[in-house]
Amino acid sequence: MIPVEYYLVVAGVMFGIGAIGFLLRRNLLVQLMCVELLLNSVNLTLVAFNRMRPDDHNGQMFAFFVIAVAAAEAAVGLAIGLAIYRLTRSVRSDEADLLKN
Amino acid sequence: MELLSNIFPPQNFTLVAVILGLPALGAFINGIFGRRLGKDGVRLMALSAIGGSFIASLVAFFMLVALNKHGEHGAGESVQVLKFTAWHWFDVSTSGGFGTAPIEVAFSIDHLTSVMMLVITGVGFLIHLYATAYMWDDPRADGGFHRFFAYLNLFCFAMLVLVMGSSLPLLFVGWEGVGLCSYLLIGFWYSDEANAAAGKKAFIANRIGDFGLLVAMGLLLAYGGSLDWGGIASGTGSLLQPVQVWPIGTPPTSGLGGAIVRAVPWLFAPVTPNVATVVGLCLFLGCAGKSAQIPLYVWLPDAMAGPTPVSALIHAATMVTAGVYLVCRLWYVFLLSPFVMATVALVGVATALFAATIGLAQTDIKKVLAYSTVSQLGFMFLGVGVGAFSAGFFHVFTHAFFKACLFLGAGSVIHAMHAGIHDSAASQDMRNMGGLRKWLPTTYLTFFASCLAIAGFPFTSGFFSKDEILYRAYVTHISGIEVEKGVKPWEAPSWFGPMLYLFGIIAATMTAFYMFRALFLTFWGEFRGWEIAKAGAEGKADHADHGAAHHGKGGHDDHHHGPAPAPHESPWAMTMPLVVLAVFAVFGGLFNPGLHLSKEPLLEHWLGPVFDLHEKYVHVNHEGPSEWLLAFPGVLAFVVGAGGAYFVYVMNNGAPARAFTERVPALYRLVLDKWRIDELYDNTVIGAVESLADTSAQFDKWFVDGIIARLTGLLVAAFGTVLRAFQTGVVHVYAAVMVLGIAVFGWFFVWQPQAHATVRDQGSGKYVVEASPGLGYTFRWHSKSPDQPDSEAFSVRRSVELQVQPGETKLVKVDVKNAFNRTTTGTVAVTRPSAAPAGSERAAAPVMKGSIQ
Repeated sequence: MIPVEYYLVVAGVMFGIGAIGFLLRRNLLVQLMCVELLLNSVNLTLVAFNRMRPDDHNGQMFAFFVIAVAAAEAAVGLAIGLAIYRLTRSVRSDEADLLKN
Repeated sequence: MELLSNIFPPQNFTLVAVILGLPALGAFINGIFGRRLGKDGVRLMALSAIGGSFIASLVAFFMLVALNKHGEHGAGESVQVLKFTAWHWFDVSTSGGFGTAPIEVAFSIDHLTSVMMLVITGVGFLIHLYATAYMWDDPRADGGFHRFFAYLNLFCFAMLVLVMGSSLPLLFVGWEGVGLCSYLLIGFWYSDEANAAAGKKAFIANRIGDFGLLVAMGLLLAYGGSLDWGGIASGTGSLLQPVQVWPIGTPPTSGLGGAIVRAVPWLFAPVTPNVATVVGLCLFLGCAGKSAQIPLYVWLPDAMAGPTPVSALIHAATMVTAGVYLVCRLWYVFLLSPFVMATVALVGVATALFAATIGLAQTDIKKVLAYSTVSQLGFMFLGVGVGAFSAGFFHVFTHAFFKACLFLGAGSVIHAMHAGIHDSAASQDMRNMGGLRKWLPTTYLTFFASCLAIAGFPFTSGFFSKDEILYRAYVTHISGIEVEKGVKPWEAPSWFGPMLYLFGIIAATMTAFYMFRALFLTFWGEFRGWEIAKAGAEGKADHADHGAAHHGKGGHDDHHHGPAPAPHESPWAMTMPLVVLAVFAVFGGLFNPGLHLSKEPLLEHWLGPVFDLHEKYVHVNHEGPSEWLLAFPGVLAFVVGAGGAYFVYVMNNGAPARAFTERVPALYRLVLDKWRIDELYDNTVIGAVESLADTSAQFDKWFVDGIIARLTGLLVAAFGTVLRAFQTGVVHVYAAVMVLGIAVFGWFFVWQPQAHATVRDQGSGKYVVEASPGLGYTFRWHSKSPDQPDSEAFSVRRSVELQVQPGETKLVKVDVKNAFNRTTTGTVAVTRPSAAPAGSERAAAPVMKGSIQ
């Protein structure tokens, strides 16, 4: 059996890539994908830890919930991206600054 | 009767629900669905509601009669009343919080209440019936026919609550309810600003009186400990203690205040009347507001702005007598203080006299009746003020009939005048009337009968009631109660009674004069309204049509053709109540004939149990002049008044009156302007309140708005300017800040273990120190000595117990380790207070100190 640390390292790397991507990239679509990376890294830790307790399914249940929420989030996020594109003819997040000051 | 008392047992008299519920239901249905019901439906609803209530009241009355017939076994037996407790309302604490008095929504029907109920629902029904015709085509009501009857039914409901409530708070509910309905109905034609103002005036004048009633309630609760009738009656003994009302608190002894006290010591002399006097005066303030006595009478004449049936029902027959009812109801409180009784009598007779003088000069027929009502209410208070409660109440009873009849007659006249004159002020002006008996025979006859009654024509109802009051005013004397041995309580001087009698006779003379003046000006002589009617007919052709439509129902359209339509008799729905009321006005005296005509006057005997034992304090001087002798000036008052009016207005066609006004124009103007009391109030009380309001408005404008509001605004704006810089609108910055914040939180809560502990005092030197929990935390305690841990290993034990001697301080150390094997140490000092008095150890909290190293 693969030790749990391996999973944690993979999840940590995924989370780092997602966070850095979300902070540095300016394309809304890429940022959304980064958010998915963040969520899925958390999912990975959840199911990995759950493997340590075979008679308990809380981690897996949580992972399912996260997947469902992520789907909803993606739908809303894409809709917002589409609306911003109609308004500004671009999907760059730093150009969406209507609420400045 | 047997069956009835099985259905409605006296202790759980559910018929009350019918008596009260029907008018409430009528008000609800007419108020909510009235527009959809249509006028016929509204009429049916309103009349059946009040009619049903009347029948139920009659049933209740006869059941009470039967009940008391059974109960008349011995003199000492308690009074039998019908009771119904609906629900428990709330509890109030009494006398400094030592006890509680339950306030129940409970109703009781005793002898006094039963008569009031019959008057309210009986006269109320007649006036409802009258109003259906009077208001049918009212052009000013603006589709408000249902609104009018909803208010009228609501009024009857509130008035019934007032008289049936078995405690002061419940009476107060009705008291406020009738005040509200009065306000709504005075301002019924609200589009006219004067009417709306009159409504407000009535409401505010009544508020002043209500203030007195509320204070009286508080005092009764604090000293007597109860607010229901039985409780107040049994608690009267404790109302005799003295209470200091002035000065409030202790006067200062030093500084500027002390200097003032030394300069005018008489101003700070303590005033200590007994509680009963204060309560009585406060109650009477309430009565003066509701029953339009000096100084709060000013609202009642203005209240005539409402529709005439309202004037008849609310402002003559029922609501304004609530004050007299309250005095009768709480006579045992009033009688405790002869001073209060004298005040009531004096204010009563002063009002009777004062209002009568104003009535002499008024030209508006409703204004004459309004001042006459104020004057008659004064007579009632004179009666109850001298301890003649059943006589005063008898005047309430007879006045309800003849004054309602007079007002409805006036309404009929105004209704007739409206045929030709569409201006409401002109159609009420007696100078435009005259000779109306030709067209309004029924109205004339009933008005005449009521005139005789109010003026005191021998053996009419008003004669008996007024004569009884004046007789009692002359011969009764109210004795004070000696609280302390040797201290003689205040009593009215011996000339007080005869003085009241004299003023009463003068007022009665004036009453006869102005009532017959009104009668002669309205119904005798020649009709003087042609000029105005003609102008109206030519100027407003559409109005003439309207007038025809108005009275087409009655089937007489004789005023269709011709330049000025003649006045006409009213439809049967208006004349029938007039006739019934006139019959009662003439023969109502037979219920309680004085002058020893009857061995046991019916009403007095009936009310006997209510006013039981009042003879203890009210002494009738049987050696004084006899009732027959004292009745003679009363008859003379009628002859002089009515004869004077006949001489002035019939034989000389008003010439002496005109000569008089030309001789002393200033006096005439003064009386016509009602002694300019309204102006006096405007310039003093109202002026003071308004200037206070102006000052407050200026303060609000310049200080609150100008400084405080601006300052807060500036502060917020300054913060906004600073915080705006952070609102960059760039999502990345927000995200970065969020990540940074999460990192800080993570460092603090996850990476760094938190060592916190709280101390619980278990009593007698035992303390428990408990560390705050955290995810994956383990603890190592140093409870015995700070340097040596209790055990080397970390454990999940979160708390330790320790024993501390008095005055001792113990240091407890705890090492907290988290999941990352990082450790923090916290220290708590536990101190037990040394000189703790016995029993208070628990309360003494230890000094707590925690620190992170």
